[in-house]
Amino acid sequence: MAQECALTVRGQVLDEVSGSPLSYANVYIQETQIGTITDDDGGFILSNVCPGHYHIIISHIGCASEKFHFDIEQDTSLSILLTHTPTELGTVVIAGTKDDYGKQASSAISRSKIEDNSHKNLSGLLENETGVHLLKNGNGIAKPVVHGLYGNRLMILNNGILQSGQQWGNDHSPEIDPFAADKITVLKGASVVEIGGANVGSIVLIEPKRIEREPHLHGQVNYIFESNGRGNTLNVRLGKYSENIAWRVNGTLKKYGDRRSANYFLNNTGVEEANIAVQLEKTINDRLFVDFYASTFNTTLGILRGSQIGNLTDLQSALSKDVPFYTESDFSYAIEAPKQKVSHHLLKAKAKYFIAEDQWVEVQTAGQVNDRKEFDIRRSGRTSIPSLSLFQCNINTKLSYKNTVNKRYHWKVGFQNVVTDNSNNPETGILPLIPDYLAWQNGIFGKIRYQKAQFILDFGARYDYNRQTVLAISTTIPREIIRYENAFHNTSGVLAINRSLGTKQSLAYSLGFSMRNPGINELYSQGLHQGVSGIEEGDTDLSMERALKNTLEYTFVPNSNVAINLLGYHQYFNDYIFLNPQEEIRLTIRGAFPVFRYEQTNAAIYGVDLSTQFTLHPTMLLVFKYSYLKGQDLSNDLPLVFMPPNRLFGSFTYRLNTLKGLKRFKLENPEIELTNRYVWRQGNLSASQDFVEAPGAYNLLGLKCSADLITQALKIRCFIKADNVLNTRYRDYLNRQRYFADDLGFSLITGINVKF
Amino acid sequence: MRHLLKLSFFSLLALLSISSCDKDDPDVVDPPELITTVNVTLTPSIGGAAVNLSFQDLDGDGGDDPIVSGGTLSANTNYVGTIDLLNESVSPTESITEEIEEEDEDHQFFFNSDIADINILYNDQDDNSQPVGLSFIMDTGAEATGNMTITLRHEPNKSGEGVAAGEIANAGGETDIEVTFPIDVE
Repeated sequence: MAQECALTVRGQVLDEVSGSPLSYANVYIQETQIGTITDDDGGFILSNVCPGHYHIIISHIGCASEKFHFDIEQDTSLSILLTHTPTELGTVVIAGTKDDYGKQASSAISRSKIEDNSHKNLSGLLENETGVHLLKNGNGIAKPVVHGLYGNRLMILNNGILQSGQQWGNDHSPEIDPFAADKITVLKGASVVEIGGANVGSIVLIEPKRIEREPHLHGQVNYIFESNGRGNTLNVRLGKYSENIAWRVNGTLKKYGDRRSANYFLNNTGVEEANIAVQLEKTINDRLFVDFYASTFNTTLGILRGSQIGNLTDLQSALSKDVPFYTESDFSYAIEAPKQKVSHHLLKAKAKYFIAEDQWVEVQTAGQVNDRKEFDIRRSGRTSIPSLSLFQCNINTKLSYKNTVNKRYHWKVGFQNVVTDNSNNPETGILPLIPDYLAWQNGIFGKIRYQKAQFILDFGARYDYNRQTVLAISTTIPREIIRYENAFHNTSGVLAINRSLGTKQSLAYSLGFSMRNPGINELYSQGLHQGVSGIEEGDTDLSMERALKNTLEYTFVPNSNVAINLLGYHQYFNDYIFLNPQEEIRLTIRGAFPVFRYEQTNAAIYGVDLSTQFTLHPTMLLVFKYSYLKGQDLSNDLPLVFMPPNRLFGSFTYRLNTLKGLKRFKLENPEIELTNRYVWRQGNLSASQDFVEAPGAYNLLGLKCSADLITQALKIRCFIKADNVLNTRYRDYLNRQRYFADDLGFSLITGINVKF
Repeated sequence: MRHLLKLSFFSLLALLSISSCDKDDPDVVDPPELITTVNVTLTPSIGGAAVNLSFQDLDGDGGDDPIVSGGTLSANTNYVGTIDLLNESVSPTESITEEIEEEDEDHQFFFNSDIADINILYNDQDDNSQPVGLSFIMDTGAEATGNMTITLRHEPNKSGEGVAAGEIANAGGETDIEVTFPIDVE
């Protein structure tokens, strides 16, 4: 026996980006509780290992820790690549599935970050990424803004499927549970031809990874409590692989009550959520792979009671209040009107057949159902009847074929069909803000990549034929149905060049052109948008919006201790569609309302994203992220509204690179992280463009302590963190609630994550 | 492989046939909650013809402009005022006044005029002995020309400072009605 347990595992841990060795990485075999720390060359030796099945855990400061399964029968040598820099830094490292979207600038959120932040919504996870901001309505409702674009202009891909639903609404969050994802990536380059829709540039990808080829049942339970809102979040993930079928299930339950600003409760801002996702993968034979994904997302979101107002007079009186109307001194979990109740269901099937190693055909089809109900305070018991009730079905099918000509060339072509059926439920008893419609899109795309040593060139083009049948109700009496039939021809194209300058630097340039046909809301909105206390009017004469995006990215990774990434971008829009405040004040029985009309102009949005990461010492990591952005209406020489203010984020992490052996378990990587976020005041705004001037700059301090405990069977992670440590009073320009109330005050968050 | 191609071909065909489907006309809803009409009747307490003020917007927000008609009041006169709210977009016409009476603790009217000499007092109460304003007393003073604005707030804070006395500043709530009538005091 003694002889058998004399095997040696040697190896080296390397940084995947720079290829340089990672010293002070923890390497640990879970079953035997043997561990070590890598030397200056990233090397390690674990001796006296018995033959058998093991899980090896590798972690390093600034990296997501990795766990591998391996069998050992003889002395083994391992070479381990850790995605060191890209987890914290937006670099052009795009491998594996990302190949589908070409090489381009991106920021990524790793699984460990998702786990530590599963109490947040999808957008909340992206909060500190460069070039990404949040458009919010209170704290339950948030949608991502990338390079100043959101809603109709920002594509969100869940599991390879374009998220459908009411994405046009500024107060509609994407209905996606981030816990089901292993990685969230924000692509910030020029347009991507493979994705239909109005893809003017940026894309948020939410991806579960393939189910680990692990024969054992693995899973995790995650529980987070947050003091502000007394919120509870419970996540469970289970998965198993067998030759027959691999499966994984993710579930989330969430309940929050009233959040609290620095000085008072934000009444009726609770959240309830229940989600489940099932992922199946089957290898039919060595050429044919099928996978299946089903998810359901269900949420109820409370909206600050004091933010439901009537006309301009109400808004003025709300603006003059320090503490919003209806503020109570008691906490409550109750969610009353105004509130949103939204369900989103997704069913997806995909089959991929390999004709040869580098030649395949793939067919993917997905159905989505989105049911959105919004409740306002109404008279005579009608509060329980939604005042907006929209039901949408969407079917998205894609067929694609990829071929590799030789080492240097490969190409891909595809066809896509998307049908969307959107209906208002007449239960509301209110004339709908957007009409019923049926839209379909048929698109073809093709792309080619040329690759040579340190040079990659991507070129792609796409054409879409879009049709809309719209059934609007007239604004005058007698009410009539007005039928519109629209057809649009959209083309888009992208050219991207990547050039490595030696091993330490690289340069990437991309140029994208795209066309977006006006959305249904932009063409046909009519009526009062309660949320903005204004009358919104579409314009049926709007024409196609054209966009041209240029990005230039420079990456410098001289060694594994330093990484710098600088991205500059410029987006030019011809016939940019935006909601323009009119001189006209509309008189209604509820008083005067400002009128906003969808109009077109020429506009530019440009900026710089800077990310840097420094390993000061094997125990210390410093990160800085800076985003600068400016949006300008060129025709009218005015700033664009709702453009994100500039921001600087910094974090300092101190990690003890020790494996503290305690009696039954080992304590790994106790870590302290200090974060600071400074947001400038949005100064690029003219006084006539908003009801009040933009809120001032603010600074938020955060602190987090975490550690992992490893036993033979479990890996337990515990953390405690404080958000807005100084209980700073602030309002954020992109949060619509800023008209009425302060943003969130101090919050203490504790979490435990058990993996088995 | 052939199987797969066949399958994808048929699924595409099925989808294309769905695409050619037509969409049914939506139901045109009669908005039951809509207030189209505000009628204010001012009856002189000493007798004589009543003065009627009205605001009518049959198609709701947007569409055609509302029709507003003001009135001529006598100077130094005491009037008894009543407000009647209607939804004339549905047939038969619905009384919104009844809805307000049923939920009177959640509603309050406010009266404001740029004619300084007009004085208005509430003439009704809800179950909590707070004013509502469907009925009111109005005293005119010297001759003047100006406007009178009547506001109906839903879920106001009736115990807010000065709210019971008719001051709107601390009332909060959302505005269900805010109409302005031109007034002549002769």
